Amino acid sequence: MFRETVSLSGSSVAVDTLSVEARLVERAKAQDEAAFEQIMNLYAERLYTYILRMVGNATDAEDLVQETFLRAYQGLPCFDGRASLGTWLYRIATNLCIDHQRRRARRVPTVSYSAHNDEDGEPAEWDFPDHQTPNPLQAALNRELEAVVEEAIGTLSPKLKTVLLLYDVEELSYEEIGRVLGIPIGTVKSRLNHARAQIQKAVAAYLADAPAAVQARVAK
Amino acid sequence: MRCKRFERQMWAYLEGQLADAQAFEAHVGACSRCQRQLAAAQATYRALHALPRHRAPTTLSAQVRRRLAEAPARPRLDWARVGRRVALAPVLGLLIALAWWGWQTTHAPVNTAAEDPTEALVELHEQLEVADWSPSPTPSYFISTGYTR
Repeated sequence: MFRETVSLSGSSVAVDTLSVEARLVERAKAQDEAAFEQIMNLYAERLYTYILRMVGNATDAEDLVQETFLRAYQGLPCFDGRASLGTWLYRIATNLCIDHQRRRARRVPTVSYSAHNDEDGEPAEWDFPDHQTPNPLQAALNRELEAVVEEAIGTLSPKLKTVLLLYDVEELSYEEIGRVLGIPIGTVKSRLNHARAQIQKAVAAYLADAPAAVQARVAK
Repeated sequence: MRCKRFERQMWAYLEGQLADAQAFEAHVGACSRCQRQLAAAQATYRALHALPRHRAPTTLSAQVRRRLAEAPARPRLDWARVGRRVALAPVLGLLIALAWWGWQTTHAPVNTAAEDPTEALVELHEQLEVADWSPSPTPSYFISTGYTR
């Protein structure tokens, strides 16, 4: 279902993934708890990361990811497989996040999410891809830039944030995002451009203030 | 190429989806403003795609299982119940029809003309008399029909 899996080189992998998912869904529909557990294992990390960036709070994200799976389980009899399982799960999660943000907007604003610290002030656990083993200075710069980007994402409106996260971070296609949000592809593209422009503005401001050496390293 | 066009093509270029990148790259080489913009966009693009995933809490599936156990059981299609409802539908329809008929007979305005056919004909005749049949009947119409108003 994701952009990288539907590339020509990975088409067989994508088909396998979809058929495995379809079988899991059928079993879960028949109230096979082990199958549903497998579905949770497949999507827990992706959904948790997505929701955490959407709501900016680990406790709320944990609650919302639980709610997403709960609703998915209860809604499985109605899942007809026209959309992929992932698209369907992201749709549930997105709706929950938007509802959550609406409710939160009516309450007192909470402290914004910090990219590097979890709720206890401890460094958050990161899963860096194996090929990313930069030298310490580069790693520090990457982290700094990452913090700038995370903070800028936090300032986006829910509409823009959803599209940016689904496309650039979760790597869904325009069509899939259109299905998740129920909007035309043109709207997806337009929202993505606006979102990227806002993040780019924050990054440009960070680079403008940074020493030339940092700018050169970041540009590498 | 102008800076506006550069801006429109910038993300497509970064995604490797720009078919002809020569004009784009030539412009970047010549315009320092666009160079800065591209550097920021490049850093943004790279950072967005390198954002790490967060590990879901280890207790997640246990929590979901607990909440599922607490939640009311998933409603399954109870055919006996559906059958009873289907069987009840015509009875319910009949009751609604009877109630409507009863209301009509007690509350509807009494129309005596409907009960007496002669009265009904008189009423119809009167209505025809009052009706303005033609906006402007021609004089020949009155002559040939002998109609007078």
